[in-house]
Amino acid sequence: MDQIYIPKNRMGFNIGSHVIIKLLEQEKPIEKPYFYNVSSIEPVKLKLIDDIFKIINNITSYDNIIITGSFIDLGFNFEDIDILIISEKGLDTTNIEKKIESSLKIKNHIINFNKKTFDEALSTDPLWRLMLSKCISKHRLKPIPKKRINYKILDLHLLKSKPLIDNFDYLNGKEKYKLIRNLIAIKLFLTAKKVTNKEINKEINNIFGINVEKIKNNLLDKNLFIKKYKNVYNWTFNEIMKYTKNEPKQK
Amino acid sequence: MSQNRNKLIILFIGNIANAIVHKILEKAINNKEITDKYRKETINSFDKAKEYREKINPKNTRLPDKDVQNVKSKVVNKVKAELKLRISKGYEGIDLSLVEELVDKYLKETSVI
Repeated sequence: MDQIYIPKNRMGFNIGSHVIIKLLEQEKPIEKPYFYNVSSIEPVKLKLIDDIFKIINNITSYDNIIITGSFIDLGFNFEDIDILIISEKGLDTTNIEKKIESSLKIKNHIINFNKKTFDEALSTDPLWRLMLSKCISKHRLKPIPKKRINYKILDLHLLKSKPLIDNFDYLNGKEKYKLIRNLIAIKLFLTAKKVTNKEINKEINNIFGINVEKIKNNLLDKNLFIKKYKNVYNWTFNEIMKYTKNEPKQK
Repeated sequence: MSQNRNKLIILFIGNIANAIVHKILEKAINNKEITDKYRKETINSFDKAKEYREKINPKNTRLPDKDVQNVKSKVVNKVKAELKLRISKGYEGIDLSLVEELVDKYLKETSVI
């Protein structure tokens, strides 16, 4: 048993009394982030996320930090970590990326939004809704804003899926999947369905009759696939163009 | 070999045209903050076009005159067709006068002209 010494006239402490000795300052435990549709994640990734939060905390102030993308899927089949930083001031994202990479030896991609632009992106862009459908954030997220159809933004995003038709023979499976996913996300957004990875993969299976893994492994039958893809692309384009009649007024 | 070169030129034309259409539509949106956000989920048509260009001889100098004429007119036609399709459906704010200028700019950047 340890002994402690205090002045002998200290009231209430008789010689031989039993006391508890406790540190005034304790090491802070890992702060628990907020999980959205992440049922399970490896402890090593959680530690990395906590380290990322600390690094960003030391560099800048922010409203929220959101980790998303393939990094939070189970396993280690990711290329980098997607990090959204919501802050009112513009950030030098390249500098933060470099600091995180040099400290944690892991590639990362930072996107900086202010609150207004982030809300705008979430209400008009299906892929941002998809990103937020599964994520981990430093602070609690606000409810996702109501969707708003902006035909110009959707058309711009849809155009990114067009190269699949001409470049089919020259793209690998993962590239093809990303282009298909982009198209289907827009289609789901237009038809008022939830834009999540699960819904997208289900829709891909329904339309093309193909398992997503088959696409990622580049095992598509070109003739069968391209015909259906063109139909879905044209249908989606025509649906978007229907909204040219009621364009939202620019503020 | 010649057939392969022709195929590469067709792919180059398709991708560079897509990149130019994208640029003109971005200008029509007039919301830089939204359109500037980098979306690495999708393939960048301009990068793809550069990949194909690197496989077309001559790589580092301008293409022969007959190729230049062919490529330029096909890119201009493709871009205009895409934009006019949108205008016919009621899309507002597309500036067709940007086409020639951007085609020249992109073809110079890829050492076609």
